[in-house]
Amino acid sequence: MATVTLVEPQSAPAQPRLNYLTEKTGLMSWLFTTDHKRIGLLYVVSITFFFFFGGFFALLMRLHLLLPQGWLFGHETYNKLFTMHGIIMVWFFLIPSIPNTLGNFVLPMMIGAKDLAFPKLNLLSWYIFMLGGMTTLYALVRGGVDTGWTFYTPFSTSYSTSFVITAAVGILIAGFSSILTGLNFIATVHRMRAPGLTWFRLPIFIWSTYATSLILVLATPVLAITLAMIGIERIFQVGIFDPALGGDPVLFQHMFWFYSHPAVYIMVLPAMAVVSEIIPTFSRKPIFGYKAVAFSSMAIAILGFLVWGHHMFVAGESAYAAMTFSFLSYMVAIPSAIKVFNWTATMYRGSVQLDTPMLYAIGFVALFTIGGMTGLFLAALGIDVHVTDTYFVIAHFHYIMVGGTVMAFLGGVHYWWPKISGKMYPEFLAKLSALTVFLGFNLTFFPQFILGYMGMPRRYAAYPPEFQVLNVLSTAGASILGVGYVVPLIYLIWAWKYGEPATDNPWRTTGLEWKTPSPPPKHNFEQTPVVTWKAYDFEAQKEELHLG
Amino acid sequence: MSQSSVSVKTYAFTLIALLALTLLTSLLGLVDLGKFSFIAGVAIAAVKASLIACFFMHALYETKLIRVIMAGGVIWFLVMISLTLGDYLTRGWMPYPGK
Amino acid sequence: MADPIALALREQFHSAEQQHETSTVGMWIFLITEVMLFGGLFTAFSVYRMSHPAAFDQGSADMEFWMGAVNTAVLICSSFCMAMAVHSAEKGKNGRLALFLILTILIGLVFLGIKFTEYYLHYHDQKLPGILFHDTSPDAAYVQMFFVFYFLMTGLHAFHMIIGEGILCATLFRTLLGSFSERYHTPVELAGLYWHFVDTVWVFLFAIFYIPGAHMK
Repeated sequence: MATVTLVEPQSAPAQPRLNYLTEKTGLMSWLFTTDHKRIGLLYVVSITFFFFFGGFFALLMRLHLLLPQGWLFGHETYNKLFTMHGIIMVWFFLIPSIPNTLGNFVLPMMIGAKDLAFPKLNLLSWYIFMLGGMTTLYALVRGGVDTGWTFYTPFSTSYSTSFVITAAVGILIAGFSSILTGLNFIATVHRMRAPGLTWFRLPIFIWSTYATSLILVLATPVLAITLAMIGIERIFQVGIFDPALGGDPVLFQHMFWFYSHPAVYIMVLPAMAVVSEIIPTFSRKPIFGYKAVAFSSMAIAILGFLVWGHHMFVAGESAYAAMTFSFLSYMVAIPSAIKVFNWTATMYRGSVQLDTPMLYAIGFVALFTIGGMTGLFLAALGIDVHVTDTYFVIAHFHYIMVGGTVMAFLGGVHYWWPKISGKMYPEFLAKLSALTVFLGFNLTFFPQFILGYMGMPRRYAAYPPEFQVLNVLSTAGASILGVGYVVPLIYLIWAWKYGEPATDNPWRTTGLEWKTPSPPPKHNFEQTPVVTWKAYDFEAQKEELHLG
Repeated sequence: MSQSSVSVKTYAFTLIALLALTLLTSLLGLVDLGKFSFIAGVAIAAVKASLIACFFMHALYETKLIRVIMAGGVIWFLVMISLTLGDYLTRGWMPYPGK
Repeated sequence: MADPIALALREQFHSAEQQHETSTVGMWIFLITEVMLFGGLFTAFSVYRMSHPAAFDQGSADMEFWMGAVNTAVLICSSFCMAMAVHSAEKGKNGRLALFLILTILIGLVFLGIKFTEYYLHYHDQKLPGILFHDTSPDAAYVQMFFVFYFLMTGLHAFHMIIGEGILCATLFRTLLGSFSERYHTPVELAGLYWHFVDTVWVFLFAIFYIPGAHMK
């Protein structure tokens, strides 16, 4: 049996120990910090802002669609609403959501490091992100964008009269922030692990975040150059993608989806990372099939790069390319299913505790499964032709991104909140809002599957009256979902000040981040830990964790 | 700290090889090889790039990790270009318009 | 006086060796993002070249072939000087390091000079895409597209060269201040990696833009 050799300094501190929050104070100490924990919090604040901003647009759209002919906005305003909703949610919430907040906060601690490999680069990445965000918001304030978040050509390069270039520049800038974060994480995982922490002793969180970082580094530059080409075509009116000038709009779709499909895995792999931490903790069992789960993260990252053409089945790509991409898309289901089975098997015969993070994690597994299965429908060439650009697609990817990523994000925030803030959140309220989110989510998006299958197209400001009942249900669900998101925001802020003080390891679990005080000191550990145990080895740490 | 340093002689040979290959590419360019002038040009460029990477950038003397990173970058670029070109090359293979 | 290596060691690292290796890994990862950045343009170029080979050859015939060939040789020489600079740094010979850095910078400037002369000549020949472009051949739209990619890709490359010149100047400045020694010269190595990479990109640009149409002149 492995022995636990984590040495804590014995001398009791004379005064309350300083932590990363109290070590320095004042606005400047935050704006010029290089501490990964503080930068993580800076990201939390920024992406929360963007989340509610983007969510507000979604709510406006749902309200508008209460009546078949729509009643709040003109068609052009509606186009801008869904575009800005997509742009903000994808690039300013979903992509940075888990890696840049929770990842930034816990990744160095999980591997027993003092900080990321390049702390200054990490801070720079936040400033670049904010610059990109502000540029995009400027585009919005000046009058918005109406191309859809996908910027399809030739509309975006030649016909749209909205602020395409400004928004594209904003996204391009934010892309460099992603690249820097990915680069930082990869270098950190390779070179900064604590003594004894071999690859197969790493928590699954690290594997999945590492896989995410690979995608960030390999895919984002292609987005940057594609957006740059749109900008150049639009400014100089020279032929790159516009068929009227000799270009090929399908090439734009190839290049855009070469980034944007892997980007889906940038969003969902970190969610899987969080869930892979929560489920063993609240089942009191090591994760089932550690290596299979670890390798499936890598497999998803790699296969995720080979499937982008399934966004273009009706766009005129060759039948052979479509077949290849369809087949490869089915392949991605294999590692995804491995993960779902292994999470389930981890819970099987464990002592499952339904604390808030676990509720979110179970919700994630359920919704991700529905989202993943409907993804297989869409990967099938025949069905895809029928449901392309309908609400079926909308429902499918919201099950992955909102049902998957946002659920896991909230689960992770609750799970690590005691470590981040040193305070406990109100458990009953938290459980209630987790339930609200789950119900509200399903009520919002399940009707959209049916709507899509019946043929309601996406991105329209009006619809035939026979679709009204389902649309009203969806809007009702969206309102409930909105409440489910606002309540945690309120009680988490409340708990930051008034919550019960948290112990160092409130969940009695195994990760290195729990073996340091809550909140942690500036350099995470009083002494660099030496790791001699496997991840999630509850048996070996039974006594230390006071388990049965 | 610094890995086994590469000798000046190796650098000099690399320089000569690169200049010779540049001359070769230029001369090839003056001959009409049809389609192949593009392919030959890119092939020679690939050889030159490997020389630069191996000797000037010390790839031959680096750790395995660095070599994996480098190979990964090249492979990913090849994935992008081959799957994209794969679409264009197989257009019109089926006896239906637009397929 | 404090040990310069101890001063250069950042607090998140345990040893100078760990710091050196981590920086090198970081630089290589950055370089593969550059591969993908240029890779997107190479992919787009290849698709269009495949679709319109004749027009792209015609565009290629309008290149200043010998200027491009000489420029390739010039850039290779500057890369050699950079390699020698790193070599001198490894041996702790700071005088030679400074000398080779200056040579690298100057030869890089020669490259940029020739490049911008070419740009001027294209402008003069009305090959600048957009409203200034003039071509009477039936394939004019695609010839113009060739020039769009030519300016885009060589322009992005020149932009990288200019940043590289800045990095080299900063490295030279630090060399003259005496920041580097046999035991600590990581920034010189990283600057070198970047410079060689930019050189590699040009090798491919020369092959795809200048070679295919060179015989048609």
